[in-house]
Amino acid sequence: MLMTHVLDLQFGDRIVTLMAALVLVLQIAMVTQRWIVIHIRIFAAQSFFLAMIAATIAWFNHASHLYVAAGLTLVVKVVLVPILFERLVKRMEIHEEIEPIVNGPLSVVIAGGLTLVGYVVAESFYKQDEPGLGHNALAVAISLFLIGFFTMINRRKALTQVLALLSLENGLFLAAISLTYGMPMIVELGIFFDVLVAAMVLGILVYRIRETFESVDVSRLRRLRG
Amino acid sequence: MLLVALLLVPVATAVASFFARRRTAMEVANLVGFGAVFLIAVALAARVLAAGTVSLANGFFYADALSALVILLTASVALVCSTYSIGYLRDDQQSGALGDDASGKEQMAQLRMYYTLTPLFVFSMLFMAVANNLGVMWAAMEITTLVSVFLVTFYGKVTSLEAAWKYAIIGGVGLSMALFGTLVAYYAGRGLTGTEALSGLNWSVLALHADQLDKTSMRLAFVLVLMGYGTKAGLAPMHTWKPDAYSEAPVPSAAILSSALLNCALYCLIRFYILTSRCLGAQYPGRLLLLFGLLSMGVSVPFILIQKNYRRLLAYHTIDHAGIMVTALGIGGALGSLGLMLHMVFHTIAKSLLFLCAGNVSQHFRTDLFSKIKGGVMRAMPLTGVVFLMAMLAIIGMPPFSLFQSEFLIVRAAIVGGHVLTGVLFVLFGTGVFAGAIVHVGGMILGPRGDAPVVARRPWRDGSLLALASALVVIAFWVPAPLLELVREAARVVKGQ
Repeated sequence: MLMTHVLDLQFGDRIVTLMAALVLVLQIAMVTQRWIVIHIRIFAAQSFFLAMIAATIAWFNHASHLYVAAGLTLVVKVVLVPILFERLVKRMEIHEEIEPIVNGPLSVVIAGGLTLVGYVVAESFYKQDEPGLGHNALAVAISLFLIGFFTMINRRKALTQVLALLSLENGLFLAAISLTYGMPMIVELGIFFDVLVAAMVLGILVYRIRETFESVDVSRLRRLRG
Repeated sequence: MLLVALLLVPVATAVASFFARRRTAMEVANLVGFGAVFLIAVALAARVLAAGTVSLANGFFYADALSALVILLTASVALVCSTYSIGYLRDDQQSGALGDDASGKEQMAQLRMYYTLTPLFVFSMLFMAVANNLGVMWAAMEITTLVSVFLVTFYGKVTSLEAAWKYAIIGGVGLSMALFGTLVAYYAGRGLTGTEALSGLNWSVLALHADQLDKTSMRLAFVLVLMGYGTKAGLAPMHTWKPDAYSEAPVPSAAILSSALLNCALYCLIRFYILTSRCLGAQYPGRLLLLFGLLSMGVSVPFILIQKNYRRLLAYHTIDHAGIMVTALGIGGALGSLGLMLHMVFHTIAKSLLFLCAGNVSQHFRTDLFSKIKGGVMRAMPLTGVVFLMAMLAIIGMPPFSLFQSEFLIVRAAIVGGHVLTGVLFVLFGTGVFAGAIVHVGGMILGPRGDAPVVARRPWRDGSLLALASALVVIAFWVPAPLLELVREAARVVKGQ
C-alpha cells in the first residue's frame, strides 16, 4: 500500500502542491509580520519546505542531483543565513517593530492579487500533453517572486529588505526545480555560493548602516539626490 | 591555456596583494598582474582572429570575437586604472582621506582591501566574458556586484554607505530577474538534441538550435533578462544607483565600473539578444531595446542640464551612452551592430579617461561641485584641464573625435533601417547632452585661476592620462587594422552569422 504511493507520480504531485501551498502561506505571513526575529524564522521555515519540495521532486523524478540542491538549501538558507541574521539582530539590538508603508490587511490583499497574477503567467507554460510534477509549484514560484518584490518596496528596515530579497530568490529556486528539475549542478553550486555571499555582504552593510545612522531605517538614506 | 591563464593571473594578483606587507609590494603586484592580463588579452584576441573561436573544457569556456573584444577592453582599462591608482591612493594616504590613524594600520588595511578587491573585480568580469554557460555567466555577474560593493564603501562615509546600499539592493533585485530569465531560457531549450545536462545552458549550443527554442518562453526570458542585465547596465528607469555609486567609489574603481562593467552588462544582453532574435526574429527584442535605450537617453538629458556635481554628471553621461549602445543593438543589422561595437571601444577609452581627470580635479580642489571650483582648472592643472576638455568634447560626439563617427553610424543605421523617429530622437537627445556638458565643463575648466595652487607633475597619473589621451586622439584618425578586424568580427557575432 505504502509502496504504491511512494512510486506514484500523482501522489508526488499532491505532496509538492501541498508544500508549495505552505511556502506561499509563509510568504504572505512575511508580508504582515511585524517582528524581525519571527520574520527570520518564517524565512527559515519557508526554506525548509522548499528543500523538502526539492527532495520530493528528486525522489519521484529520479533526478538525483536535486538532492544536492535540497541539502544545500538546508545548510545555507535554513541554518546558516538565519543564524547569521539572528546574531546580527542581537548585536544591533533591534527591538523596534517593523513599520510597513502599506498597512497589514491591505498588504495581504495585494499579495493575494499578486498570487493571481502568478497563476495567470504560469498558465502559459503549462502543456497538457506533458506529464510531470509541479504545475502549481511554478505558479507559486512566480507569486513568491512578485510578493517578495512587493515586500521589498513595502518595508523601510534594511534587514527586512534583505529577507525579502532572499525570499524572492526562494521563488526563483522553486521555479528552477519545478520548471526544469533544477539547473546543471555546477550552476546551482555557483548560485548557492552567490546567495550565501550576498547575504553576508548585505549583512555587513546593514551592520555598518546601523553603526553610522543609529538606525536601520533605509528611508533615512536620502542624501544623494539628482 | 590562454583562457586559464587569463583567469588565474588576476586571482594570483589578489592573493599576492592580500598577503603583501608593504604598500609598494601591493602596487607592484597589481601593476605586474594587470600588465600580464593585458598581454594575455592581446594574445587571446590574436588567437580568436586567427581561429574564429577558442574553447576549452568541453566548451565550458568559450571565447569568440565578441568576448575577446570585451576582454581586451576590460584588461586595458584595468591596466590604466591600476597605474593611475598608485598615484591617487598615495595622495589619499597623505591627505588623510583614508583615516588619520597615526600608526598607519587602518590605512594599510584599506589599501590592502583596494588592491585585493580590484583584481577580484577584474577576474569576475573576465570570467563572465569567457563563460559559455549562461548560468555561470550570471554567477560571475553577481560576483562583480558583491566585490564592487566594498569598493563603493571604500571611504566609509555616510554617503558611500547609502550609495552602496542602493547599489547592492537594486543590483540584487535586477540580477535575480536576470537569473529568472536565464532559467526560462534553459526551459525553452529543454528537450533539444545535444542539450542534456550541463551543456543545456551553454550559449553556443542554444545559439545553434535557437530556431527550435520554445517561443513563448523566450519572449518572457528576454524581457526578464533585459530588465535584469539592464539594471546592471544602468538603463532607465533602473539607473538610480549609478550616479551614487560612481560619485562615492574611489575614482579608479568608478572608471572601471563605468566603462568595463557597462561593457560586461551589455555583453550579457547581447548574448541573449542573439538567442532571441534567432528564435523570434529581430523585431521583438529590437523594439524593447529601442524603448529602453531611448528612455535612458531621454532621462539623462535633464539631469545633465541641471547637474551641480561633475562626477554625477559623468555618471549620467554613462547612462546616456548605455542608452545609445542599447539603441544601436535595437536597430540591429550590419550597420547598427558595427556602430555598437565601435561605440563600445570608443566610449570605454573616453569615459575612463574622463573619470581619471575628474579624480585629479576632485583631489586637488577637494570638492565635486561646480559651484565651488568656479573655473580655472586649466590654469591650475594644465595637463588635466586640457585632457578633460578634450575627452569631454569627444564623449559628447564632437568631430573629429571617434565617438562622432560611431554615433553618426548609429543614426545612419536608424534612418536606413526605417527607424526615422529613433534617429530624430537620438539627435535631439544628443543635442541636449551636448549643451549641458559644454556649459558645465567649459565653465569649470576655462576661466582665470582662483586661489588653488598649480600642481606639480605626477608621473603615475600623468602617464596613464597621456596614454589614454593619445589613444583617444589616434583612434579618431586611425584604427589599427587588427583592432578594426576584431570589431568587425564582433559585429558579425552580434548580427548573428
